[in-house]
Amino acid sequence: MDRRAGIAEQNRDITLEGVAKRFGTKGRLVEAVAPIDLVLQGGRTTALVGPSGCGKSTLLRLIAGLELPSEGRITIGEETPAELRQRAGLAVAFQDPALLPWRTVAGNVALARSLARMPRDGAAVEDLIRLVGLSGFDRHRPAELSGGMRQRAAIARALAGLPELLLLDEPFGAVDELTRDRLNAELPPLWEARGATAVLVTHSVTEAVRLSDRILVLTPRPARIAADIAVTLPRGPARDPGSEPFRATCAQVLAALREHQLPGSIAAQ
Amino acid sequence: MSIAEAGAAGLRAVPRGLTRGLWLLLVLLGWELLARVSASAFVIAAPSQILQHAASHAGLLWRAFLTTLWAAARGFFWGNLAGITLALVAVMLPRTERLLATLALLVFCLPLVATGPILRVLYGPGEGPQVTLAALAVYYTTFLPVMVGLRAVPQGWLDLVRSYGRGGLTLLREVRLPAALPYAVAGLQIAAPAAFLGAMVGEFTGAERGLGVLTVRALRALDLPATWTIAVIAAGASVAAFAAIGALGRRLELAPPEVLLAAPAPRQSRRWAGLANGALALVVTLLLWKGAMEAFGLPQFFAKRPEDVWTYLLTDAAARARLLEALAETLSLALPGYLCGLGAGAGLAMALALAPRLSSAILPLAITLRSIPIVATAPLIVWALGRGAAGTVAVVALMIFLPTLVACRHGLARTPRAVLDVFAVYAASPLRRLLGAQLAAMLPAFFASARMAIPAAILAVTTAEWLATGRGIGALMATVASTSDYNMLWAAIALIGLAAALAHGLVSALERRILARTNPEQLAR
Repeated sequence: MDRRAGIAEQNRDITLEGVAKRFGTKGRLVEAVAPIDLVLQGGRTTALVGPSGCGKSTLLRLIAGLELPSEGRITIGEETPAELRQRAGLAVAFQDPALLPWRTVAGNVALARSLARMPRDGAAVEDLIRLVGLSGFDRHRPAELSGGMRQRAAIARALAGLPELLLLDEPFGAVDELTRDRLNAELPPLWEARGATAVLVTHSVTEAVRLSDRILVLTPRPARIAADIAVTLPRGPARDPGSEPFRATCAQVLAALREHQLPGSIAAQ
Repeated sequence: MSIAEAGAAGLRAVPRGLTRGLWLLLVLLGWELLARVSASAFVIAAPSQILQHAASHAGLLWRAFLTTLWAAARGFFWGNLAGITLALVAVMLPRTERLLATLALLVFCLPLVATGPILRVLYGPGEGPQVTLAALAVYYTTFLPVMVGLRAVPQGWLDLVRSYGRGGLTLLREVRLPAALPYAVAGLQIAAPAAFLGAMVGEFTGAERGLGVLTVRALRALDLPATWTIAVIAAGASVAAFAAIGALGRRLELAPPEVLLAAPAPRQSRRWAGLANGALALVVTLLLWKGAMEAFGLPQFFAKRPEDVWTYLLTDAAARARLLEALAETLSLALPGYLCGLGAGAGLAMALALAPRLSSAILPLAITLRSIPIVATAPLIVWALGRGAAGTVAVVALMIFLPTLVACRHGLARTPRAVLDVFAVYAASPLRRLLGAQLAAMLPAFFASARMAIPAAILAVTTAEWLATGRGIGALMATVASTSDYNMLWAAIALIGLAAALAHGLVSALERRILARTNPEQLAR
């Protein structure tokens, strides 16, 4: 059975039931995520936006099962995050690229295939590296790359295992504006065409509107859902950041962000 | 091109090998001159005398060298195998880590001076003690960095492997082992001279052949050129092995490890948990001590059990007084030497940070000297500084000084680039930069070497006392070993182990207190 073929037919919804996360011990307890009930539709791309340190990344790590919720439970389709990971159905592009310094770019991308128990495929690795614009750098070590190039290598690695669920934590944070624009256009079809689900954490409202079907605006810590905005713009030219409907959606997201900023923040004054 | 520039270019055009050769020649000339001038003092053998001695005893020295080298090589192999295995166990079974680290430290603190004679009785004649002591001398300096390397893996790498649902073995193969490789090479590099040292100490205890045997003979006969010749051969071999492993590491294109030594285990959340751990380590030590002796059926005559030592110390007041007096005498020399060595090492590292030009001249020398085994230099230093307190203090200080200097340099170099840039933007003075930014970066390395310096100080002080001064607990152990007073010998070993563990605990506690303020990230796991 090819588990990667018919993703779309199964129920791949991500369901969060009363999920909360607290860190630390008694006395110094930090509440990162307030109890949240949420369903993220399978096969769609959802963006999480919110102020720095609001718990977006924690939420992403909870969905990945890298952190366990203090309360509540998370299911992806019929599975727990751990079960999904067990069969390598998930990939994360980390904010810190976390490339292994002793492997080349190609080696790092190939590692994801091997971790996902897929056969070696030099051509597929090469394609991905070309797609993120690192052609000619496949034999380079991470130390020889700029911050943005490392992030692109990390994205290629996350895509290499053909995940059903792709979690992107500020994937383009250090990537320059032009490259970012190109990646925003070229990368999403890679997972959308396969019917994979994606959850994206980003600071950029433009990026969120451009890439996602739905935007969740989170409050400052502990993270709660402040606004749930559906992005109805069709893919393609309508998602040109210059277009009027695009700007209107951005304004909607920004308004929600303003409404829920921290009382002491610069914008509030 | 100006004349000055042309001149500078011309100087640079001189091949580096030639400049080095010239330096070496100058040093040799200075040495010869110094030896000739101070000939009446009978301290320094001139290079010409050494050459003469080496030439006239070439066959003997060569055979002795090969014997020692072979014993050292076998000890190197077994010791490192043990060190790496222990580190793997500690990382794969994190619950055992604390206990394993404590036991490994205790065994490493056993004075070679005492273990040598006991091993000699155990093995009889032959090469057993040499190989065992060489292994004992190296396993800890490999265990510690390898454990750090296996464990010091960024959270992101762990998450990566976990996010694909892969477990401990994949993590070990893909992440931990490659990450630990540079640390392992650094450990092996330090181990090479240490193995040579261990083998020589083993030979002091009554072997038939080897450089150690020749050293004892030369010291007894007050044969100055012979002592120097052997010291030069031992030092040369150590430096060569140290350099060879370093070259191997560069060949593998390994990035040098970030920090060589581990941060102390984090403080337990509850006070009693720390005490319980200490008590557990004590109980396990005693059980292993007794258990091993019973398991191998070692005769009680020389293999004293813990309870024998306890009864002996409790009942024999005269022996107790003699032992404590010797220990006090030893500590009164070891402590100043320890502090001087640490202070001088850290001080020079800081001075070099203020005057970077000097460092390119001093550091290669320091790294080379660090690899010379103390056994080779101890007799010479004591010979030069006399059998009084100064000689012993100097041996201890020197033993600690060079590793501390090198470690502190590593630490200073780890100051984040961006922080240095901030100081540069405000044109801060080098002193301001040192105090404001670099000192904090140096502290973890400093404390790590302060911990490692404890066994080194014990080794240095007991060796110096045994070989040269004839005082303190080192000499006491040598005496009672030769008169087969094994009660006293085991009591001395136990006491030294206890003192080392206490000192280690003290330094670690101080380290935690200070790093919690200056480098909290070092204490995080």
